[in-house]
Amino acid sequence: MRLLLLLLVATLVQIALPSVRVWAPLAACRPLLLVTVAAARTLTPVATAWVGLGIGLLVDLLTDQAVGPGGIGGALAGLAVSVTARRFELTGPLFWIVGAVVAVATTETVSALVLFSLGGALGHGWRGSVATLATTGAVALLVAAAERAWLAWQSPTRRRRRMLNRL
Amino acid sequence: MVRLHLRADVSLLVACLALYVVSAAQVRSVHGSALTTALFALWSPVPKLAASVAEVWDSWVVGRHDLEATLDEHAALRREVARLREANQALASDLFALRQGSALLAGFPSLIDRSTVARVITRDVLVSHTMRLDRGRLDGVRLDGPVLGEHGVLGRVDQLADRSCRVQLLSHPSAAAAARLVDVAGEGLLMGGDRPTVTGLPPYLEVSAGILVVSTGSEGIYPPGLLLGTTGEARTEGLFTVVPVQLAARPTDALVVLVLAPENAGAR
Repeated sequence: MRLLLLLLVATLVQIALPSVRVWAPLAACRPLLLVTVAAARTLTPVATAWVGLGIGLLVDLLTDQAVGPGGIGGALAGLAVSVTARRFELTGPLFWIVGAVVAVATTETVSALVLFSLGGALGHGWRGSVATLATTGAVALLVAAAERAWLAWQSPTRRRRRMLNRL
Repeated sequence: MVRLHLRADVSLLVACLALYVVSAAQVRSVHGSALTTALFALWSPVPKLAASVAEVWDSWVVGRHDLEATLDEHAALRREVARLREANQALASDLFALRQGSALLAGFPSLIDRSTVARVITRDVLVSHTMRLDRGRLDGVRLDGPVLGEHGVLGRVDQLADRSCRVQLLSHPSAAAAARLVDVAGEGLLMGGDRPTVTGLPPYLEVSAGILVVSTGSEGIYPPGLLLGTTGEARTEGLFTVVPVQLAARPTDALVVLVLAPENAGAR
């Protein structure tokens, strides 16, 4: 359920970011990939890969690119993020940032390779990929900070401290 | 029935391969991505239809606008025509009144100095036998001032306001004027009413029809010599000869009248 909610929010943000009212470099951001990262926390690697495949296809659709390379890249990104997070036991902000970087890097690389193997090329150059990596990583940092704040707000320690203050 | 059981990882691999094939097809397609191709195929009739609808709508709006403009212009022209017709009628009425006033002044040149030209505002020649003029006390009109039409005496002023006055016509039941018949001896009294008559003449007086009846001025209102009417067949009633009179001035035709200062204006 949380994943669906996150997917909905990420889709809306993904649609809104290319708007002329938003700072132009943020159009390179791929917040939908963070859904793949979030899925890696609870799902198995293969299931995360399936989620990544769907997310990649959705990104392809929303960005009006050839539908397919993004799906393949998303699937491998999900697999990579899930395996990396498990192998290095990533948690907290590190999980989000490293997961986002791995997801973006894998997606961009695989998409570029797929298109290259077919005689095509990405719609953007390496600068676009770097911009995607940077902006998505920044958003991942924000998500991590928000998660940390939310957990701190909801922590039992804080509740106990507040209760003691009332006494 | 064959049921295909695939492991999730193998299915993922198959899906990726399928996507690769789909990507290859799209890369080699001139229409771009599959989404673009599908949208192009589905969407291409829509702009044409929308353009047609827009063209029809635009034509309808423009036509409606033109129709409304034409109808507005037509209505404005109709109002202008009505206004011009009213102005034309007013001008024709003014012209007729001016001609009548001119004829009045030409008919009574000796009375011009002590007269006021007035226009008839309203008249009731059947019930109250009065008419209202647009001149009043501030214009020099006085009570009992004789009122003349183009063809003779119409009556006298019986009510006065600052800017208007009411005229009692000779056809009023209580109207009266001292009168005589031209070329006939004696003086009588012209009594108003539906059938005006001259009474007070000696009995058995031979009066032929068509004799002019003029004022004598004995009653102190009308100047002498003004035409009142013409006689009909005379008859003797008691001690007097009664002569029916056809009044000369017709109030229904009067638009402009001449209001004279009364004979005894100084006393009033």
